[in-house]
Amino acid sequence: MSAAPISKAISVRDIARDFTAGQQTIRVLHDIDIDVHSGELTYIVGESGSGKTTLISIMCGILYPTEGTVRVFDTDIYHLSDTELVEFRLNNIGFIFQQYNLIPAIDAASNAAVPLIAQGMDRHEARERAVAMMDKLNIADQADKLPNQLSGGQQQRVAIARALVHEPRLVVCDEPTAALDARSGRRVMDLLREVAVDEDRACIIVTHDNRVFDLADRILVLEDGRVTHDGAEMPEDH
Amino acid sequence: MALLPKNLSFSRQILPLVALAGLVLAVIYIATGLPDRELSEPTEEPPRAPQELANAARVAGAGVVEPSSEVIDIGTAIAGLVTMVRVQPGDYVTKGQPLFQVDDRAVRARVREAEAQIGEARAAIAEAQSAAATAARQLDLYRNVSDPAAVSRAEVIRAEGEASAAQNRLNAARARLQSAQAMRSSATTELGRLVVRAPISGEILAVDIRPGEYVSTMGGNASFIRMGETRPLHVRIDIDESEAARIALGEPATVSPRGASDRQVKASFVRAEPQVVPKRSLTNSAAERVDVRVLQVIYALPSAASSNEALFRVGQQVDAYIPARRNGATTDIVKPEADETE
Amino acid sequence: MIWIAIRMLTGDRQKFYGLLFGIAFSTLLITQQLTIFVNLLERGASGVYNVSSADVWVMDPVSRTTDVAYAMPSTALDKVRGVSGVEWAVPHIRATAAVRTKDGDLEGVAIIGVDDATLIGLPKRMIEGSPDVLSQPDSVIIDDVGMTRMFPDQSPIGERLELNDQRAVVRGIADAIPSFTSTVVLYTKYSQALNYVPGTRNRLSFVLVGKADDVSAQQLVDRIEAQTGLRARTREQFAGDGVDFIIENTGIPLNFGITVMLGFIVGVAIVGLTFSLFIRDNIKQFGALKAIGVSNGRIARMVAAQAGMVGMVGYGLGVLGTVGFIHAFSGDPTFKGFYIPWQIPLISLVAIVLIIALTGWLSLRTVLKTEPAAVFR
Repeated sequence: MSAAPISKAISVRDIARDFTAGQQTIRVLHDIDIDVHSGELTYIVGESGSGKTTLISIMCGILYPTEGTVRVFDTDIYHLSDTELVEFRLNNIGFIFQQYNLIPAIDAASNAAVPLIAQGMDRHEARERAVAMMDKLNIADQADKLPNQLSGGQQQRVAIARALVHEPRLVVCDEPTAALDARSGRRVMDLLREVAVDEDRACIIVTHDNRVFDLADRILVLEDGRVTHDGAEMPEDH
Repeated sequence: MALLPKNLSFSRQILPLVALAGLVLAVIYIATGLPDRELSEPTEEPPRAPQELANAARVAGAGVVEPSSEVIDIGTAIAGLVTMVRVQPGDYVTKGQPLFQVDDRAVRARVREAEAQIGEARAAIAEAQSAAATAARQLDLYRNVSDPAAVSRAEVIRAEGEASAAQNRLNAARARLQSAQAMRSSATTELGRLVVRAPISGEILAVDIRPGEYVSTMGGNASFIRMGETRPLHVRIDIDESEAARIALGEPATVSPRGASDRQVKASFVRAEPQVVPKRSLTNSAAERVDVRVLQVIYALPSAASSNEALFRVGQQVDAYIPARRNGATTDIVKPEADETE
Repeated sequence: MIWIAIRMLTGDRQKFYGLLFGIAFSTLLITQQLTIFVNLLERGASGVYNVSSADVWVMDPVSRTTDVAYAMPSTALDKVRGVSGVEWAVPHIRATAAVRTKDGDLEGVAIIGVDDATLIGLPKRMIEGSPDVLSQPDSVIIDDVGMTRMFPDQSPIGERLELNDQRAVVRGIADAIPSFTSTVVLYTKYSQALNYVPGTRNRLSFVLVGKADDVSAQQLVDRIEAQTGLRARTREQFAGDGVDFIIENTGIPLNFGITVMLGFIVGVAIVGLTFSLFIRDNIKQFGALKAIGVSNGRIARMVAAQAGMVGMVGYGLGVLGTVGFIHAFSGDPTFKGFYIPWQIPLISLVAIVLIIALTGWLSLRTVLKTEPAAVFR
């Protein structure tokens, strides 16, 4: 796909993460050392249990690593205070969750406006901006509907709108195509490419859906807590 | 649903409003529903201590109005039917004025009988005098005859006897006259006693006899006419014996009648009864037995101006406030008798 | 964010109404039971409160309440009048008697004899007639509860009763707070009461005292007790005595205490369970919000807003229900004079705040403990 990385969005250095289960301590990540660049669509691929969820959590600042440092746009996020970290996430990162996690009691546009509202923006202005974003995603006509009145695809677009509405510099997307058929999956990925990838925005997608591997700029393969592949294409043995 | 809902939301708007209205309603209900426990002034004026005693030591007592002479129950000396009642309640009588009359016909008959006997006795005296005179002249005649043969000795003796008998008859007739006169005098006195008169000047308080009724000297507490000197009136105040030592005898009392306690008058001290007596019931119960003894103190009410006429009447109950002795003024126990000013 | 929290709350109708019901029910139970409790207790003081003009009550040293009184000799009145600071003092008799109604039924009544001249001792208001009717011979005034008990569905005015072999004619109806036992009360003059109550040696139950302006009731009580040796109580103290008497001699406080406690427990149970269910249902959304970048403080405020809304609305509805209940039953003679002391809604408010704070805090803990990373699983 497109050419050379422009700038370092995330730099992960020597990350390790332990989980304790009862008496045992299990190390799920070993010495991860990667960089993610802006303007790229980066995939993190791996079997379940490979540690990809842990890795993405650490990379977007919601899970403390046991060892190592994470710098997001030159900020050492795990040396921020709790409040600063929360603030940092709010201003810099957009999330698209696998189950969307929309709030059922408020309409689509309001859901999409949540990050702006959380930033303290007036709720009507935030909603206008959210509707504008939804317009880009071609679901502006669904703005007044409650999430459970929308189809799965529409809900996902609302979730995408929510992730992008505050124009974060990093977008994290968890299994966006898992629940979709191949065609819809590709459409979503196309859409993400179109709206999420930007010169100064990094986009990380966690997936194990091989149908969409060809859309990635870069694929990181995780096996048993270690990065085993880092390249533009999937390795053959996968 | 829009951000600015045009249609009202029941849960978010109506319910909180209902709840808020409920709270406001509750506040109003609670505020207005609080029980009325305000103290209120009595509508009728209760007996109050007079101004100058309001915060001073004082003794209170209840009492009864009575005449200054106390009540006199007029009785009769002689039993009999009443023929005439001369007074009405409220009359002011002077000493000696007749009050009522008991039937006097029997006594008058006795007077007339005595007078007849007097007449009879006088006639007998006259007859005896003339007989005595005749006998005396005949005796003189016989005594002046010098011829002893002309008059026999026996004739002379007979004439002397006749003169003496005539004199005796005269004496007897005089005695009968005196007896008859005494009888008349006795009957006349009794006649006077049948008219019952006022023993003192005073007011008739009650009349409980009517002509035709029988008055008897027996029968205990029968009082046919009650009277007493009501100028001035006295009040007899009962003071609980435990309070008696505190009372300042000699000070005037403030007295008000029951039911008109706003009309207080000053009553001047008269005397304290020397005897402490069991409390007489003043609280209306007929057969009240009490173990309380009271000192009775008597005060004179101010003389009745015409407007005061209606204020106090004999037998009326009064409430009285009397100053107490100053604390520490004297420590010796006051003997009521010692302070008597009578 | 608060409005989002409120939307989340009201969006789940079942739980929202469940929560409202829990809070409203607790409020209703606590407020209403406390109200009835307090009012029942204050029935013990009704005899004192019905006499509106006496600052101080004087009685025999062994007397305890308006109904448990030992009579004094009649000179006690004068002794009290002799105390400085006593503005006025009037006799007051309270006794029980059996009355024979027109139908021949026997009914226990309380006879209250008020001062002949001033009628001090009567309740403040009359429902029918005026206090002056007592000046007519053989008059009594019946209280309104007595009216409904002795003369249901008919006017008692002019009815003749037999008291201690004496005639008594009802000529007025007084507006009085009934006593704890709802005894029929007949008011009459002191002198008349002496005839209606079978004779005993001493009759004077109480001396009612009005204080002078420049002494306090408590000072006057001390003076009267020191000077006369009688027992004196201020109006409030004597009312308190009546309440204490009921507390000491009945199981009411325990019973009502249990009910109030139950109300509290039911509230905690319903509200606690429903609220944690609600929070658990929304835990994913909260997690998402936390991941997006909503701080714990704001999450806590959101939960607090939800709890506060439930609490406020539920409390309002509960209080409304209580007011409605008390109002609806205020016509019933059993509830005559019932009122809601202002402290009671505050007490239930405190209870509700406790419930809300407790359950809100428990639920919030699960939210705060949720790792934002959980949203990726």
